[in-house]
Amino acid sequence: MIYNISIKASSLFLIISFFSFLSGEINLYTHRHYNSDKLLFKAFTKKTGIKINVIKGSADQLIQRLQTEGENSPADILLTVDAGRLVRAKNLGLLQPVTSPLLIKQIPSEMRDLDGYWYGLTVRARALIYSKDRVKQNQLSTYEDLAHKKWRGRIVVRSSNNIYNQSLLASIIAANGELDAYKWAKSVRSNMARSPRGSDRDQARAVASGLADVAIMNTYYLGVMANSSDKKDQDVVKKIAVFFPNQKGRGTHINVSGAGITKSSKNKEEALKFLEFLTNENSQKVFSSANYEYPLKINEHNSTILKSWGQFKYDPLSLSVLGEKNTQAVKIFDRAGWE
Amino acid sequence: MFRVLKNEILFKLNGWTFVSFIIGLFIIIPIAFVAIQFNNSSENWHHIQENVLYKYIYSTLILVLGTGVLSVFFGVITAWIISFYEFPGRKLLEWGLILPLTIPTYIAAYSYYDVLETFTPLMLWIRNNISFSAMNLFNDFMVYFVTIIVLSSVLFPYVYLSTRASFLMQGNKLIESAKILGHLPGQIFWNLILPLSRPAIVAGLSLVIMETLNDFGAVEYFGISTFTTGIFRSWMGMDDVGSALRLSSYLMFFVLLLMYFEKRMRGNAKFDQNDDSSLTHKRLVLSSSKSKSVLVICLVPLMLGFIIPVIRLSLWSISASKDFFNIELMQIRFNSIGLASFSSIIIVIVSIILLFSSKYFSSQIIKITNQFAVLGYSIPGAVIAMGILLVSAYINDITNIIITGTISSLFIAYLIRFLAVSSQPIDSGLEKECSQINQASRNLGKTAFHSLMKINLPLLKKPIFVGAILIFIDVFKELPLTLILRPFNFDTLATLTYDLNKQAQIFDASIPALIIIIITTIPIIFLNKKLERKS
Repeated sequence: MIYNISIKASSLFLIISFFSFLSGEINLYTHRHYNSDKLLFKAFTKKTGIKINVIKGSADQLIQRLQTEGENSPADILLTVDAGRLVRAKNLGLLQPVTSPLLIKQIPSEMRDLDGYWYGLTVRARALIYSKDRVKQNQLSTYEDLAHKKWRGRIVVRSSNNIYNQSLLASIIAANGELDAYKWAKSVRSNMARSPRGSDRDQARAVASGLADVAIMNTYYLGVMANSSDKKDQDVVKKIAVFFPNQKGRGTHINVSGAGITKSSKNKEEALKFLEFLTNENSQKVFSSANYEYPLKINEHNSTILKSWGQFKYDPLSLSVLGEKNTQAVKIFDRAGWE
Repeated sequence: MFRVLKNEILFKLNGWTFVSFIIGLFIIIPIAFVAIQFNNSSENWHHIQENVLYKYIYSTLILVLGTGVLSVFFGVITAWIISFYEFPGRKLLEWGLILPLTIPTYIAAYSYYDVLETFTPLMLWIRNNISFSAMNLFNDFMVYFVTIIVLSSVLFPYVYLSTRASFLMQGNKLIESAKILGHLPGQIFWNLILPLSRPAIVAGLSLVIMETLNDFGAVEYFGISTFTTGIFRSWMGMDDVGSALRLSSYLMFFVLLLMYFEKRMRGNAKFDQNDDSSLTHKRLVLSSSKSKSVLVICLVPLMLGFIIPVIRLSLWSISASKDFFNIELMQIRFNSIGLASFSSIIIVIVSIILLFSSKYFSSQIIKITNQFAVLGYSIPGAVIAMGILLVSAYINDITNIIITGTISSLFIAYLIRFLAVSSQPIDSGLEKECSQINQASRNLGKTAFHSLMKINLPLLKKPIFVGAILIFIDVFKELPLTLILRPFNFDTLATLTYDLNKQAQIFDASIPALIIIIITTIPIIFLNKKLERKS
């Protein structure tokens, strides 16, 4: 009897391990820590049987770790919240080029690396938010306009340690050149109502509290706040509105949360399948409904809150440029005294 | 120099010293990797020097100075009241005042995340009635002020603990004599007790300063550009490892200097302490009105550093989507407890081996390697993590062995970072209790192992226990090293708190934060019991 059970048990174990060998695993290094991702990982495992192992950490540290581990790294995919770090990982030789017709079809060309080293997964727009009481929509126009004296003491933005600000300045360097970018950073800094601190959400809070009138921030944080269980955050959102700058010119600055397959990957096929899965229409909807990010085709979503902000034109600058100009941007921030 | 070396090799080279030397070296390598970069002239160094270095130094100094002064203020006053006066509630406060140690700085900052915003109306008033630049000035002041208060209110117990221990040790006779000679309590405090306790205060203060330098979460949140934030800005923002390492090495030399002064101050005063410490104190019983006022004085830092954060976190936890006992959290709790317990065992054993073989054989070389090995405590955790990554890259190149991503890499990291924590009590214990007996034991022809097991360990029970508990608490709270070196699908309570916080799930983050506080409270109460003088 016992013998029988043990045979059954061990054969069952063998079968299970055989299937898990067949279906494989993916080791993921990710900077993202959202529920939307958890949902998608589960759905992917359910669909393909491929298990996802996750290490969460800041992209910088994960890149450092990849570098350390070299060829022996267990990681298959590096997932970051901005394009700049993917460019960095590519330049450090940590990623490998892959391509598939599906990825090309699902991802607009400016949101992926042209050699196939990394692919965007979701889009974030770095827009302006303003106080409904104290600012009229037609007073706002461009990022560049925020350097004007009329905004003195009325702007809040977070620290330039933050990659989103570094990427924004990189896009401004690309559009206007280094000198103008420096002048812009210096003027915006002197227009700030307070020295930069806190998160993007804190900037929204500062505008709602009356300390400032305009803030630069990523829109998805606003979605998070609007749906927060904290009533204070909901009240903040009621007092502010979104404005997409530079609509008459190059468009609003965007960034992507994206991923690349590591050079050391031992599960390349599965990893590729995973990227295709994350960029398909259904997954894209999950990103926009569960995390208020924009899908890769930015107007193809049915999220009520995203719709309430309106459609916008985005800066079609190839996001690789953000990575290439990152160091330059940090130095300009330093010189401009933007902490 | 040569003679010393020859002497060391001829007479002091044995299994003990050899093993200690190797362990010491092993710990020093990642640290040395950082230290030798002080002159690294990378491409962006000029830029850093020109634009931001001054700012980093300036804001770090303000922070260190402010936090240091306030912590000493809180720590010494509370230690004084607890040690010399008797009033209702004293017993409770005696250990209650250690509780802020259970709150890591990143959780303190998170529990006060919105405190600066409460000043917005005042700021607006200043802008409207005085001027915009006055508001700016006020804002800058408040940023530092709040950060300093938040940091000191959770760090002051380091000063409180060391000072209280020193107060308790001071001879009653001395104080009694001073009283008989007609000195007022105030005079006795300023002219007698404070100078006698200076080494203890400085020892506590140096821990406060190191913790301040190590903090990344709080200063980043409140927007202060310190050395530590600067290191990461250069490393990641400018992609310039060289400059980041150079900044790190500056930070290290600063701490080295600090430790040197601390040692000197302690060294000079060491012999003044061993008065008749066997006598119990007679505490002055206070009248009820005076009792109330000292109670209030003690409650201020306790409120700021423990009661308010815990109340806020508890209120938030009511709205959290998970409870304290869901399965995932239980697993994570298990991870944290296991990690902290094993680390404290490993680290305590290593510190005993290192210190014992240096003292027992009075080996100069081991003494020197030990002094370098404890430097890890002075380096921000995140920088150590980088050092380990860089070194393990070499190891990986040569041997194809990956250290990162295994639990052992975490143990190594904690060993480097926290060796000093257990070394300090064990070192002073060895110095005080064992040096003469060891000499005798050697003369009687006993082996080193015999001396260690039969004489030193029993005598060192208390410092070992203290060291182990301190490490348990430190590892339990540790964030940056764990974050970067942990294995797949592995979370600790600290990393979970950080993750949830990053997602702005203020309510959900309160649960692991509270568990950290609750679990570290238990060993801290034990610790206090041990540190209390047996009367």
